[in-house]
Amino acid sequence: MNWLCDLMEPRVMDDDMLKLAVGEQGPQEEAGQLAKQEGIVFKDVLSLQLDFRNILRMDNLWQFENLRKLQLDNNIIEKIEGLENLTHLVWLDLSFNNIETIEGLDTLVNLEDLSLFNNRISKIDSLDALVKLQVLSLGNNQIDNMMNIIYLRRFKCLRTLSLSGNPISEAEDYKVFICAYLPDLVYLDFRRIDDHTKELAEAKHQYSIDELKHQENLMQVQLEDEQARQEELEKHKTAFVEHLNGSFLFDSMYAEDSEGNKLSYLPGVSELLEAYKDKFVIICVNIFEYGLKQQEKRKTELDTFSECVHEAIQENQEQGKHKIAQFEEKHLSSLSAIREELELPNIEKKILECSADISELFNELMMLEMQLVEQLEETINMFERNIVDMVGLFIKNVRSLMAQCRDLENHHHEKLLEISISTLEKIVKGDLDEDLPDDLRALFVDKDTIVNAVGASHDIHLLKIDNREGELVTRIDSWCTHLVDKIHKDEIVRNRKRVKEINQYIDHMQSELDNLEYGDILD
Amino acid sequence: MEVLREKVEEEEEAEREEAAERAEWARTEKMMRPVEVRKEETTLTQETLRDLEKKLSEIQIPISAELPAFTKDTIDISKLPVSYKTNTPKEEHLLQVADNFSRQYSHLCPDRVPLFLHPLNECEVPKFVSTTLRPTLMPYPELYNWDSCAQFVSDFLTMVPLPDPLKPTIKSEEKVLPKKYTIRPPRDLCSRFEQEQEVKKQQEIRAQEKKQLREEEERLMEAEKAKPDALHGLRVHSWVLVLSGKREVPENFFIDAFTGHSYSTQDERFLGIESLWNHKNYWINMQDCWNCCKDLIFDLGDPVRWEYMLLGTDKSQLSLTEEDDSGINDDDDVENLGKEDEDKSFDMPHSWVEQIEISPEAFETRCPNGKKVIQYKRAKLEKWAPYLNSNGLVSRLTTYEDLECTNILEIKEWYQNREDMLELKHINKTTDLKTDYFKPGHPQALRVHSYKSMQPEMDRVIEFYEMARVDGLIKREETARTMTEYYQGRPDFLSYRHANFGPRVKKLALSSAESNPRPIVKITERFFRNSAKPAEEDVAERVFLLAEERIQLRYHCRDDHITASKREFLRRTEVDSKGNKIIMTPDMCISFEVEPMEHTKKLLYQYEAMMHLKREEKLSRHQVWESELEVLEILKLREEEEAAHTLTISIYDTKRNEKSKEYREAMERVMHEEHLRQMETQLDYLAPFLAQLPPGEKLTRWQAVRLKDECLSDFKQRLINKANLIQARFEKETQELQKKQQWYQENQVTLTPEDEDLYLSYCSQAMFRIRILEQRLNRHKELAPLKYLALEEKLYKDPRLGELQKIFA
Repeated sequence: MNWLCDLMEPRVMDDDMLKLAVGEQGPQEEAGQLAKQEGIVFKDVLSLQLDFRNILRMDNLWQFENLRKLQLDNNIIEKIEGLENLTHLVWLDLSFNNIETIEGLDTLVNLEDLSLFNNRISKIDSLDALVKLQVLSLGNNQIDNMMNIIYLRRFKCLRTLSLSGNPISEAEDYKVFICAYLPDLVYLDFRRIDDHTKELAEAKHQYSIDELKHQENLMQVQLEDEQARQEELEKHKTAFVEHLNGSFLFDSMYAEDSEGNKLSYLPGVSELLEAYKDKFVIICVNIFEYGLKQQEKRKTELDTFSECVHEAIQENQEQGKHKIAQFEEKHLSSLSAIREELELPNIEKKILECSADISELFNELMMLEMQLVEQLEETINMFERNIVDMVGLFIKNVRSLMAQCRDLENHHHEKLLEISISTLEKIVKGDLDEDLPDDLRALFVDKDTIVNAVGASHDIHLLKIDNREGELVTRIDSWCTHLVDKIHKDEIVRNRKRVKEINQYIDHMQSELDNLEYGDILD
Repeated sequence: MEVLREKVEEEEEAEREEAAERAEWARTEKMMRPVEVRKEETTLTQETLRDLEKKLSEIQIPISAELPAFTKDTIDISKLPVSYKTNTPKEEHLLQVADNFSRQYSHLCPDRVPLFLHPLNECEVPKFVSTTLRPTLMPYPELYNWDSCAQFVSDFLTMVPLPDPLKPTIKSEEKVLPKKYTIRPPRDLCSRFEQEQEVKKQQEIRAQEKKQLREEEERLMEAEKAKPDALHGLRVHSWVLVLSGKREVPENFFIDAFTGHSYSTQDERFLGIESLWNHKNYWINMQDCWNCCKDLIFDLGDPVRWEYMLLGTDKSQLSLTEEDDSGINDDDDVENLGKEDEDKSFDMPHSWVEQIEISPEAFETRCPNGKKVIQYKRAKLEKWAPYLNSNGLVSRLTTYEDLECTNILEIKEWYQNREDMLELKHINKTTDLKTDYFKPGHPQALRVHSYKSMQPEMDRVIEFYEMARVDGLIKREETARTMTEYYQGRPDFLSYRHANFGPRVKKLALSSAESNPRPIVKITERFFRNSAKPAEEDVAERVFLLAEERIQLRYHCRDDHITASKREFLRRTEVDSKGNKIIMTPDMCISFEVEPMEHTKKLLYQYEAMMHLKREEKLSRHQVWESELEVLEILKLREEEEAAHTLTISIYDTKRNEKSKEYREAMERVMHEEHLRQMETQLDYLAPFLAQLPPGEKLTRWQAVRLKDECLSDFKQRLINKANLIQARFEKETQELQKKQQWYQENQVTLTPEDEDLYLSYCSQAMFRIRILEQRLNRHKELAPLKYLALEEKLYKDPRLGELQKIFA
């Protein structure tokens, strides 16, 4: 009766329903008693079954962080939602619902088996995140376009697919088409694809498949190129000299410089500009190469440092482990000796001995740790000094190279000014031969105007150079500071952790001994 | 001195094999005095020559004519070829040349030992030594290289010591003789001992403690030390010299034929070389041997150092290029060379000995009778041919504590072709520990099995071949109370399992058929790190204390930690105040966690973990019992294998492999039958007709047509005849039957029942015969035209009647 009512009434996935389901599906018998006694936390549930419950809306699932298997089939769900937190989900069953579009699955990267059988889906998409997908069931839906199959080519692990009961399955070459475009598929519509069909499909669609493959390859190559470029740029950025391996800086100087561009039409200026650019670019490339080299040096320095530190820590850990192993061996035998001892004074004496052992272990371990801290501190300080020096040298050299750029600019400015003034004189005298563009001629009104124009251009150029230099210096400085900070911080964290670990262990040992004492006295 | 001759047979074999490697036979003795190098030879005048001749003829050459002590009864002279019994004129000539050479030599070097030039062979015929060598290539790859070849020869030879030429009656010394090349000279031991002594002197404290020991040692040493050799430097011996150059031999070296060992030419045990020969020439060493053979220069082309006997046979230079050149010259100037030969040089005659033949059996048997015993100092090595011993034993090395070889220290036995893959058995007599080594392929994947007794539950170590077992077991150690197993490459990362057993509980009821296993007290299991799991969930060691119902877990240590998590479960079945069973209480699981976690605090988690471990405990316990059973099984199997000691026979071993022999014979039989059948089918119809025509001529068209027609008509006639024959028989039978029937009807009334039975049985038999004949006739009628057509077709296709086709073409 109740069940019938449920059929009528759409239900909500509330806490009670979930608790009930979890309780029913959780551990049974003795374990069940324990579970009941303690209560089950949703976070620990691995599998949940919520079928035939007339659920309309998916809700309240966010607590099931570790859920692996979720069954929501045979409900009246219309929209896939609320699954964002269930990132460990491997199996999701949403068959026999009223879903119209595939959505809300973008976080389920571990999903391997997805069933959307008997829904109202008309298009396969939004499955991009499901890289591990192996089984996809989309039968009894409304997919009517064969091109949906091509979308499925991206799932490299997909082996089982069901699409029967869709409009496309009526098509004449439905099976052959799918086999051709999804060559790794093993089962289609719950049947194994035989080799004969595979061959047939391959032969029939070879041309279009080849074309598709070619396109896919092209895309892949493009993507890889883009990635490689990006990586290259990233590398340059870590060296703080990106875009200096060419005329980028020079071009940027003239990008916002309208006066400069106008003045380049003056007679003799274009040659001057050409020579100026060449020289400028050479210096830029110098900076670029120097930067890469320095970056390499810094990296080696850092790698060596990390390696040494790692080795030191490892060795120290080994010593610690050894000490603990030694202690445990002795400790175990003394514990069993205490258990077997009958005389109370003897027991007390032995317990005291044990206690002394524990504190001695503590001292030894702490000593080891202190030793390591001191050693590391020294090393870190040395590294800090070295890296700061390296950065300082780099900045100094870059500054001097930049100064050369500025000199070039100043030189160019002087020349340009000279030409401008002589041109002005010519214009004033009226014996200018060449035609000048109108907007350039407009600058030659009087001496002040032309001098101002040339000066403005010069100022812009200097500003650009200053900016680039400033950017470089700021970034490398902050990188250096961050690096050093991080190393110090990491070391502190490591030390804290180790001290905590030691304390925890010693406390445990001590309390074990105390418990023994307590138990013995009870006995 | 007679070492060579006494075993001519065997040595010839060696010689001829070695000759392939252009080895030189060397004859040595200690040079007592430096040799004078002759210089006046070239300036001899006519007078001195005559004088010399006179002197030479007076010299009695003390040819090594003494008959060897070794009897020749074993050799049947009558069966030997003529070349053994007589000398060809060329050989006679050579002997004269040799005698002349020898005379000159003893004149010029009167102090040196007479030359060993032409000893008597087994037929008492003098033969020049070089002609006893016959280079032969053997079909065994082992004989292609000097080391394995020398080994074979040494195995093949049996050392028979000579009577001592000085004190022939004293036998003790004789025994020492053969040892010369088998043990290291005691001199070496002496010097080492002295060194040791010096070191010991410096360490006075130790010295005092060890003094007694050392004295004892000294005494032993003295006893071991060989007595001074009265014949030192007087003994002459033959061995093989291999010169560098060919076959990638980097430098000259000696091979001792009795041991097959190689020695450097610098070895000081070789005191000097008297003469050398190969199958082409004979050289006398003119170099001083005061420093053993160390300073000898083996450039045989140098006439000052090596006096040759025959000129020009080998142009004396033995270097590789020289020979190649001469080979080329041979082709070019055959005439010139011939003249030269006539004028100056004398060809070494062809060897008189027969080509050596070693049958595969003899080769495999190696030693005479397939068995050889070599006595070393404090050790004895026995060798057998494969398959000689039914248990596959091929060699045994016994080492002794004392020189008299009475107290055995240890025995090593090597086996071959064992079906159980047993390779080596090592028995240590002092500890009584036996160790068996196996080759890969034992059914239980055994590698090493060391034990003192074959009884179970005793000290024992069994090692297995890695990767050969499904469970990854590589070693199992047992003592009376423990069993330890080591694993590798298991999917569950188990690396070690150790079980402690308690004393066996005596079973009251003896009726139970099941064995009574020892109770397990404790099982310790260790695991490799499973990198797929976080360290704090990856168990490194678990200990099941079965008696105390306690389970201890130790987890792996995280990379950046020094402590590892631990957990201890104590199963107590208790009842609370209300009488309900307590399922799980917090004190049943004591854990230490490096990084305390939320979910492990839950009783449910602990309960499940404990239940899981309980199951695992049961499995482990079971596993231990299984292992015990397996040990029993292995022991049983080993005993069976030892008792049966079956040998495997390679399928390529056609002589021994019965199965393959049978199969081969069957195959041959089948082939033979097949062949016969083929012969039958290839019956030539045309042959009788072709025989009428003159042979060898090509048939004309007319002849072909006639031949075909004749053949066909003949065949037709045969078919008709056959049909008639069947028809006749058929009619005869029918007539007879009819007669009988008539007779029966006439006499039916008077017939006895026996007669009637007889008649009836005749009738049924006759009817059967008639029916068969009828069937055969019908079949013949059916097949005859077909057969006829088939023959016609065949004749058309017959190449001999090719003309026929032309008619139709």
